Amino acid sequence: MTSFNFRQSELVSKTFLVVDDFGDMRGMLRSMLSTVGVKEIDTANNGPEAIDALERRRYDIVLCDYNLGPGKNGQQVLEEARHRQLIGLDAIFVMITAENTREMVMGAVEYEPDSYLTKPFTKDVLKTRLEKLVLKRQDLREVDQAVGEQDYDKAIQLLDNKIAARPGNLGELTKLKAEILFRSSEYEYAADVYERVLAVREMPWARLGLGKIYFTTGRLQEAQAMFEGLLQDNQRFTAAYDWLARTLQALKKDRDAQEVLERAVVVSPKAILRQKALGDIALANGDLAVAGKALTEAVSLGRHSVYKSAGNYAKLARVKSKSGDGQGGLKIIENMEREFQGEGESELYSAMVKGVIHADMGNREKADACMHEAARLYAKEGPHVAADLTLEMARSYGELGDKQEAAKLLQQAVRNNHAEPELLQQIENMVGEFDLGTDPKAFVSDIRKEIVKLNNRGVELAKAGKLQEAVGLFSEAVEAMPSNKVVNLNAARVLVMNMRENGVEGKQLGRVRELLDRVRKIEPDSPSLRRVQLMYQNLSRQGL
Amino acid sequence: MNPVQQHEMKFADILASLIHDMKNSLWLVINTLESLAGEMESSADRQKLQTLQHEAKRLNTNLIELLTLYKLENERIAANIEELNLAEFIEELVLENRIGADARGVELSWTCDDDLYGYFDEGLIRGVVNSVIGNGLRYTRSRLHLSGEEASGFLVIRVEDDGAGYPQEMLAAQDAIDDHSALCEGRTRLGLYFAGMVAKLHRNQGKEGYIRLSNQGQLDGGCFSLYLP
Repeated sequence: MTSFNFRQSELVSKTFLVVDDFGDMRGMLRSMLSTVGVKEIDTANNGPEAIDALERRRYDIVLCDYNLGPGKNGQQVLEEARHRQLIGLDAIFVMITAENTREMVMGAVEYEPDSYLTKPFTKDVLKTRLEKLVLKRQDLREVDQAVGEQDYDKAIQLLDNKIAARPGNLGELTKLKAEILFRSSEYEYAADVYERVLAVREMPWARLGLGKIYFTTGRLQEAQAMFEGLLQDNQRFTAAYDWLARTLQALKKDRDAQEVLERAVVVSPKAILRQKALGDIALANGDLAVAGKALTEAVSLGRHSVYKSAGNYAKLARVKSKSGDGQGGLKIIENMEREFQGEGESELYSAMVKGVIHADMGNREKADACMHEAARLYAKEGPHVAADLTLEMARSYGELGDKQEAAKLLQQAVRNNHAEPELLQQIENMVGEFDLGTDPKAFVSDIRKEIVKLNNRGVELAKAGKLQEAVGLFSEAVEAMPSNKVVNLNAARVLVMNMRENGVEGKQLGRVRELLDRVRKIEPDSPSLRRVQLMYQNLSRQGL
Repeated sequence: MNPVQQHEMKFADILASLIHDMKNSLWLVINTLESLAGEMESSADRQKLQTLQHEAKRLNTNLIELLTLYKLENERIAANIEELNLAEFIEELVLENRIGADARGVELSWTCDDDLYGYFDEGLIRGVVNSVIGNGLRYTRSRLHLSGEEASGFLVIRVEDDGAGYPQEMLAAQDAIDDHSALCEGRTRLGLYFAGMVAKLHRNQGKEGYIRLSNQGQLDGGCFSLYLP
């Protein structure tokens, strides 16, 4: 029954930001909130104004219309707010949608709002909905906090207590639990949770979760079947497309993966990360037409997005040049320069891509000058340069015929990413394409031998009980090869051994977690990861 | 993609954006009327405004129905199943329709177990129940009751009234409600066709959603039941 309570609304003390491009709407929302007793209400007319407001002040609740006219839409405001942490973990973001815009919004890859309100709604509906959201957030505050601190064991324990005490929103809590288990790589446990849900009823989120576990644990055929099944039931389930494409790529079916993403962008054309993924894979498949279209989308969507990236402009410019439209390529680079104003890696991308375009257009002198500038900027990036950038740079040298420089960069890339099969495959292909070595496979494996040798030395030190020395050696090695799976794992292992001997210490525990997270990203199914993870868990339990 | 599909997509997008615009206008109308009603001294004037609000709300419900039906016909829609608290869902529906009920002097009540959770597409089911409520408000005498419960593996949402009930031929023909001919047989029929289509989009473990009409409700009038697996 409707309950009339005379206590003050939970909302009165909250700070609100209302975002709508339509003045009457803003006024109406404001008056609705005032009637409820809310005092702190700011408004913004469009996306950029909303971001400005969020930068200036921490809001408890954001009410944002999805349609904000030209420029950013509501989803892009949400993405930027969450991505840049302009709103706290416990802030509530409500997306106001027209009819069922939800399917359009649902195509998003990364972030989802806490709730959707469909226009038109009355002030009573608004009040009731917001009050419930506030209570829900309060209920999950401790769990959110534990997740924020990456204390997954605690988060699971808290959720288990809730699940046992109050089976009301069981499904919601169970979903959250499974997601946290997945994040802490408790795959068997997470799979068990999903299977129990599915035994009772068909829930797409549980099937997606199970599929992700299959993918992550290398059961690729099963993953493929799962995602395909989900899409058969609901061809608008965009997350299933993304995971199916990843699965197919892992199965080395790049053409099929491309086709899947092409279907996905028809359903949900506004997700920039998906357009970028399609552009990348089409480029790898040599499908310049599709790559050009997808990268054009990624670039144009990116203009108002936190995912705006100079790399996308660079790739698009290359595609244009390769398709024989050098002038078009230069135009893209000009746009990029205007958009980025020298920010981040844009100058480097600009120089290296211009080099290639000028070479394609037969202007060798200009090309060399550009590459000279690119080399200077690349050196400034330092040793922790992103793999993407290194490969793009190597490609530029390769296309200009500077084999020596290209080879040097690719060696560096192998060293940094020696455990990433997809990347190594790209490197191998590039070595072959630009004829950088008689044997592309050996190009990679020679470096591998170096690393093996270094590893063995560290392991021997550890065996001999010289743990401090081993810790030192591996932390240096990790510096030099920050993405190397074996080196990272060994660094974590000797840290754990060291703590077993000399006592548990919070900072070192954190470091181990960081190293293991890194490995998890590279190869989640690694049995040695599991072993070190177990060592770590035993140790941290002892330490508590 | 073939050219026909492309054409359909464009049409659906135009339809959606027109409806979006109309709904924005309606929203303003509804809320302006609400605040005006609050300022009215005489209850007769207030009631007139409430009637206007009620009609604007019906217009809105119809627009949603129109768009959804178009998408259903073109298979551009699938249920976006979420877990939802049924009591909260029903409470919001009652809040939304309170003014319409007041305007017609109908007592709107609801019952639902606080801990009952359901799995359905919120937007679609909201559209269906709103449409049934709108219809109920026209045909009931003095009461309209919403309820939610679980029965033999289905979630049941019921709308009951104390009016004259559904006509016999409608009860007899309800198994054929998904028949396309229903489309040209009046407003109530269209609403039920819509409800049946939306119910069917909800599937779980081999079971499919459906609707049932009867005149054996608690209030002795019409009783609409929506069964979701």
